[in-house]
Amino acid sequence: MLEMKNVNFDYGNGVPILKEVNLTIGEGEFIGLGGRNGCGKTTVTRLLMGLEKPVQGDILKDGKSIIKQDASIRSRFIGYVFQRPERQMFRPTVAQEIAYGPQQLGMTKKETGEAVAEAMEAAGLQKLAYAYPPNLNRGEKQRVAIASALAMHTQYLILDEPTSGQDSTEKEKLMMLLTKLNDAGLTILLITHDMDILAQYCKRVIVMGHQTKYFDGTPQKLFTECDELMDLGLTRPQSVTLSMAVAGMKYCKSMAEFQDEMIKRLGGNA
Amino acid sequence: MIKNMVPVTKLIATFAFSFWALVMHTTIPLIILVAAELLILAVCGNLQRNSKAVGSLAVFAVFLGFVQLLGGGSVESAYVTGLRMMAMTVVFIILLTTTRLQDLTAAMVTQIKIPYEYAFMFTAALRFVPDFIAESKAVQEAQACRGLSVKGNVFKRMINYMSVIQPLMLKSLSRSETMALSLELRGFGSQQRHSFMSNVQPNAMDYGLIGGMILISAVVIYLRIHGIV
Repeated sequence: MLEMKNVNFDYGNGVPILKEVNLTIGEGEFIGLGGRNGCGKTTVTRLLMGLEKPVQGDILKDGKSIIKQDASIRSRFIGYVFQRPERQMFRPTVAQEIAYGPQQLGMTKKETGEAVAEAMEAAGLQKLAYAYPPNLNRGEKQRVAIASALAMHTQYLILDEPTSGQDSTEKEKLMMLLTKLNDAGLTILLITHDMDILAQYCKRVIVMGHQTKYFDGTPQKLFTECDELMDLGLTRPQSVTLSMAVAGMKYCKSMAEFQDEMIKRLGGNA
Repeated sequence: MIKNMVPVTKLIATFAFSFWALVMHTTIPLIILVAAELLILAVCGNLQRNSKAVGSLAVFAVFLGFVQLLGGGSVESAYVTGLRMMAMTVVFIILLTTTRLQDLTAAMVTQIKIPYEYAFMFTAALRFVPDFIAESKAVQEAQACRGLSVKGNVFKRMINYMSVIQPLMLKSLSRSETMALSLELRGFGSQQRHSFMSNVQPNAMDYGLIGGMILISAVVIYLRIHGIV
């Protein structure tokens, strides 16, 4: 379990970015991290990864402080996928790119080969093994970055707005992949501004606001009970709005679910 | 006052300080010159923000002094070399931290009569430096998240740094291409004349300062001829 305990943070200019943040990330969770632009979402993940150090407070893994470990050490259990994954790509093929992490961990040639093959299979990249990473499209680059983290046998995967700038097919493919990885036991923390993703795929949502953790609960609770959605820079997904508008209808987390419910109501076969 | 000076006055001041640093060949006047520049930087409120850059320059100055010593120079010449380098570079920090690049381009084109394309290239290169540093930091962070450690001996660090250089170069090339396209799409180089929004005309205070700098230059030359500085 990863834990942030009473974390305060500023960029050295005295202007607080985060105040008294307390949050836990349990194993196997699929968490969406939302909030307005500049509310501190990325700062939270950078603190967890060790790219920033808290001004006050502690960060723990399984009850032990990891505050003194830098990002290269934490990369053994936390994988981080940046919004622009091309920043980490420098090798001539996808397979070699994915092999970089295991090699940094000192794995043998055989172990590296196995780790790369497993990661490519998990991310659906077998056909792109010999492709030149900078030539891939954005969705494929994201998958290479995810595979790079998987090859390091990471326990936690943090993704910073992985679906921004992607078409709906690529977005869905990526979210299906993340769901599959989560089902296999990988813990996922996903920063997103996409309300449909929060509603449909995340099991738990954390919303940053007013320089701290403002909401922590299920997507259903967030979208049906929280009165300050607009203030927090969030909106209600269409599927939720529609399901709330129809008397007696259950909460629908996606348009597909709403459509099925409506068809059932009208006496058709969903 | 310095922030109110027009860019051409600051450019002349930059060259004047560099000229004085080249003319002076004893330690004390050069120390005074460097101290004056640091004081100006502090008065402008930019010393703390640029303390890392000044610190790096100081380290490089010490290195230059050592090279001078190893090359058979005297201790005095080692001090002079290091201080001269400091004096000639700190003044550029003052210029760049107190002048908007658009104003600098405008002054270079309208007053110094440098063709716009060349003036733009110069300021674009200056603008590129902080962007390049920021991108370098971002790439280093991305690689640290994959286990890259910047610890270890120099050779290990150099080998590890290769994983930063390649994405950085690719990103820089892509950025240059985007910038070139963006400039072309907005008519770069299609007109003989280029207009500027900035008013960079010198005023009385600027003329007074330029006069003062000419006078100081004459005094410095006189003192150097008589072996005082």
